[in-house]
Amino acid sequence: MAHAGADRPIPPGSAPRRMSSGMRLLLGNEFGLAVLILLTAATFALTLDGFTSPFSVYTIGRQIGIDTMIGLAMMAVIVTGGLDLSVGAIGVCSAMLFGWLMQVMGVPVLVAVPLAVLFGASLGFVNGFTVVMSGVHSFIITLASMSIFFGVMIFLTKAAAFNGLPPQVQAFGKMRVLPGISPLLLITVAVCAALVVFYRYSTLGRQMLAAGANARAAELSGIRTGRVIVACHMLTGLLAAIAGLMVTARTGAAVPSMAGQLGQDWLLPAFLAPVLGGTLLSGGRVSVIGTLLGATFINIMTSGLLLMRVGEFWILAFLGMMLLIAVLADRTRQIFLTSRGMI
Amino acid sequence: MKMISKAAAALLLGTVVCAPALADEGTKVALVPGGPHPYFAAWEQAGADAKTEFGLGAADYRVPAKWELNLQSQLLESLLTQGYNSFLIFPGDAVGTTSVAQELVDNGAQVIATAGCLKDPSPALFCLGTDTGNSAYLGAKELIRAMGGKGKIAHFTGFLVDPNTQLRIDAVQKAADETNGAVEVVQVIADIDAPQPAEEKINAYLAANAAGVDGIITTAWVPAVVAANSLRKIGDKRIKMVGIDHDEVVIKAIADGFVDGTMLQNPYGQGFIGSYVLNRLRNGCTLKEDGPWKSNALTNRFVDSGTVFVDQATAPTYVNAMVGITADLLAGFEKDFLTCS
Repeated sequence: MAHAGADRPIPPGSAPRRMSSGMRLLLGNEFGLAVLILLTAATFALTLDGFTSPFSVYTIGRQIGIDTMIGLAMMAVIVTGGLDLSVGAIGVCSAMLFGWLMQVMGVPVLVAVPLAVLFGASLGFVNGFTVVMSGVHSFIITLASMSIFFGVMIFLTKAAAFNGLPPQVQAFGKMRVLPGISPLLLITVAVCAALVVFYRYSTLGRQMLAAGANARAAELSGIRTGRVIVACHMLTGLLAAIAGLMVTARTGAAVPSMAGQLGQDWLLPAFLAPVLGGTLLSGGRVSVIGTLLGATFINIMTSGLLLMRVGEFWILAFLGMMLLIAVLADRTRQIFLTSRGMI
Repeated sequence: MKMISKAAAALLLGTVVCAPALADEGTKVALVPGGPHPYFAAWEQAGADAKTEFGLGAADYRVPAKWELNLQSQLLESLLTQGYNSFLIFPGDAVGTTSVAQELVDNGAQVIATAGCLKDPSPALFCLGTDTGNSAYLGAKELIRAMGGKGKIAHFTGFLVDPNTQLRIDAVQKAADETNGAVEVVQVIADIDAPQPAEEKINAYLAANAAGVDGIITTAWVPAVVAANSLRKIGDKRIKMVGIDHDEVVIKAIADGFVDGTMLQNPYGQGFIGSYVLNRLRNGCTLKEDGPWKSNALTNRFVDSGTVFVDQATAPTYVNAMVGITADLLAGFEKDFLTCS
């Protein structure tokens, strides 16, 4: 977990106690989630017919890949204490551009992919630039941009999908790299690894964490927080675009409704995975691995509940409860660690 | 809604000479709409009746928790894992659902796109649904007739991401264009097939513009209900209206004279006939390549599940109208579309 804890209150006259690495591991979200995942998966595997069938394992893994990518997109902007409600709209717009480039313009896949990803980043730039220049919270800005991006896309495409994509796009979405493993999951794991390195070792990554933890302190340290915030939104746009392309590969077509009305279908997984994984909504700390584990837990639970036939409507209620519990658990952990002088 | 479905089932089973039912407890049908919507409520009873009538292993109505393409896909994948082998699916998206339907077929299941079509090429056996464009066109013609052949129309319709919406908009416009300017579509309000946006936009529009509108056509369920209620509240029967579907609010408004009629669709028949066909196909029948398939904007393998206009005179017996179109279709389906050894 990468973090900058400069905004944590420290009791007067005391320095934070050093936490052993073992203690830090045990108190971390990742450890708790990993244990939960193991217990849940084992329970379902032993009690539910079909849960471990190759088809089931494959579809769960593929969905984990997509949901994690959506979660990472939101995580990249939560790090500054901001939000991006337009992740779904950016993902869909990028996917539609991807489809248009290939189907209408005849652009090869390998050229269309980076163009669509850059387009997502550019939409993120629009968000970030507007947030910084206006000083208005990103919630409001991205609420507006969500409608604008999606509305312009619907106007330009007339809500028609691009389903004449090169066959290798759909083949990629259905491919099994190893028995039961989707390449979409492997892409996500690779992006996770890159993000861990980015936040831990790169200057810009550490500046993002510092700006999110305490913007004023970061400014005084010479960090141009405005630029950093714009960069965070661009990273969000880039990751949302990758998620959009992954969904396109899965469906074999670029579809305007892939993320629902205005892209809102992505909002729950976008918040759920990173918050479950330990990313602080107040900013300054991200957990890339936690986001991956959060999405894994959600999808295992969802699949298990569907197989148990508990009722489709309970699944949404369950996901909402998970989000609430994650937020409350995060708050409790902060209070506990602060009271022990551990942060 | 359930009572209506039961009445339809009783009438249908009592009046239709069904093709010989071949019991196959191995046929497990899942009837899966794109999300919760009152239109599909009749599928539950249709599945239950089909299970009993045709001796199916299962014919269960399973609804994704919300209208979300991904949720529907996850549900379908789970149903396949649970052993369902026959699917009646309302595509969450005419293109986006193709991929998951292909996965179902690749794993030995059979799929009929129901109440809405998948865009060709698709793995669906065929599409069983309402010819939405034609239904909207016929509804608009009925409205224009009620308006005396002239005036201004407001059109309230469904979600823009649904390709059917554009077909409906075009069909209403086509009917208006045929009047050589006597009738004008002055407003199209889309994206309102949900209570909150429908209430907000329709009421706001009528509050400001009711005097400038002579007719209303609605081509989605929720706008039909909201517009019927609004006209009842306004209390002015000058504005003519033709709705869609058979919500009790709309039917009562027709009986009371606030709405002139509605274009019935046939969700019960879709669920019942679809389950029957899937069972027959699992038991040795095949689809006729040269059957009387129709075409629409999405597919060349379309079977119209029927649409009928109900007005004040026929509103009290509208269930009979639904039963009639289902009975007609079921009676001739095997002869027209199936080859059975």
